[in-house]
Amino acid sequence: MSALYEGLAEVFEVDVGEIDSAFNLPDHNWDSLAIVSTIALIDEVEDLMLNGAALAKCQTVADIEAMIAAARNG
Amino acid sequence: MSEAAAKPGYSVEGVALRGVVCALPARRVTNEHFKASFSDDDINDVVKMIGVEARHWVEDDQTTADLCLAAARRLMERLDWAPDSIDALIFVSQTPNQRLPATACELHGELGLSPNCQAFDVGMGCSGYAYGLWLASAMIAAGCRRVLLLAGDTSSRMVDPLDRGTALLFGDAGSASALEAFPSAEPIHFVLGTDGAGARNLLVQAGGFRALAADERRAEGYDPGHLYMDGGAVFSFTLKAVPALVRDTLGRAGATPDDIDALVLHQANRFMLNHIAKKVGVDPARTPINIDRYGNTSSATIPLVLATDLAERLTREPMRLMMAGFGVGYSWGGVYMTTTPLACAETLTL
Repeated sequence: MSALYEGLAEVFEVDVGEIDSAFNLPDHNWDSLAIVSTIALIDEVEDLMLNGAALAKCQTVADIEAMIAAARNG
Repeated sequence: MSEAAAKPGYSVEGVALRGVVCALPARRVTNEHFKASFSDDDINDVVKMIGVEARHWVEDDQTTADLCLAAARRLMERLDWAPDSIDALIFVSQTPNQRLPATACELHGELGLSPNCQAFDVGMGCSGYAYGLWLASAMIAAGCRRVLLLAGDTSSRMVDPLDRGTALLFGDAGSASALEAFPSAEPIHFVLGTDGAGARNLLVQAGGFRALAADERRAEGYDPGHLYMDGGAVFSFTLKAVPALVRDTLGRAGATPDDIDALVLHQANRFMLNHIAKKVGVDPARTPINIDRYGNTSSATIPLVLATDLAERLTREPMRLMMAGFGVGYSWGGVYMTTTPLACAETLTL
């Protein structure tokens, strides 16, 4: 997941060390721009296309990781 | 046309692009203009993500047809094309002069074209230039000798000035491209497609003949006379559809990403274009982006790249172009073409 964390650090403009599973998204400007950036990031590093509306409901990085796992398992 | 293969799309032989001229309205609008309506953070977000820093907007008495007419006149002059030598005029736009007659017929009259010249409108937007090239090429393969393809939009007339998602995004432009029968031209390869399930994610509901039913968007304040865009849905569609479109078109042409001299994408969103280029394996240096200067000009974005960023090279040497238009519809079109040096590629303002 390191590529994901590095990408999320860029999206949220924070140090990569701050990104972990508990990272709280609504506390870090989890707006439409951040969401589409994250869709593109996951497309790039995981080759998966997540649903934007579902992604918007994520509260933490762990929620995103769970969505990725669910998408990967079909 | 060549034999249809198992690969999706079509290939047309014997067609050359001779020149491209674009016309921009003189009024240049920078992001400073929006400070009265939006916060600095809102504007900075748009610059960071979408990349638009300036755009050109028409005055109230200017239309897409005016821009295309000026571009067409300059193009015909540069090519020394006599009006009676043109067999067809195609006007691709979602901002025609009126509901009827077709704006192409008006333009036919303004340009003094022959009574034997066909003229018709095509109501396409983001994918419109690819569709126009396809139609013009297919018509030449069927016997036309010279086709004028006029494509453009004045989307500034349709956006809600208080909608952060669209107000800063669009610019206005018109274009004219000249296509001609040329037996020794390299084949042009096309892949075209549609997903009507996305039709309501990018639309202007008013102006047609379907009665406007109350819906949740209007309850939320959407004016059916303004452009509505579900940016997230359109973004997801684009990321899913466009890399596949580029791969399919290259596959049709028997080409690879390394063969492309320029990947010319519909200028919708800088972040998205960079992502698509990376996804299909084309160096950003070969993916020109001018959305910072002109915004999203709908069906004019691709010819505007040809007539600005690529103009000098297109008039100097042959180029292998991979062009892709995508968006409203949803509709998409990919075109792979090897150009011969163009007689002209330029932009004028009026």
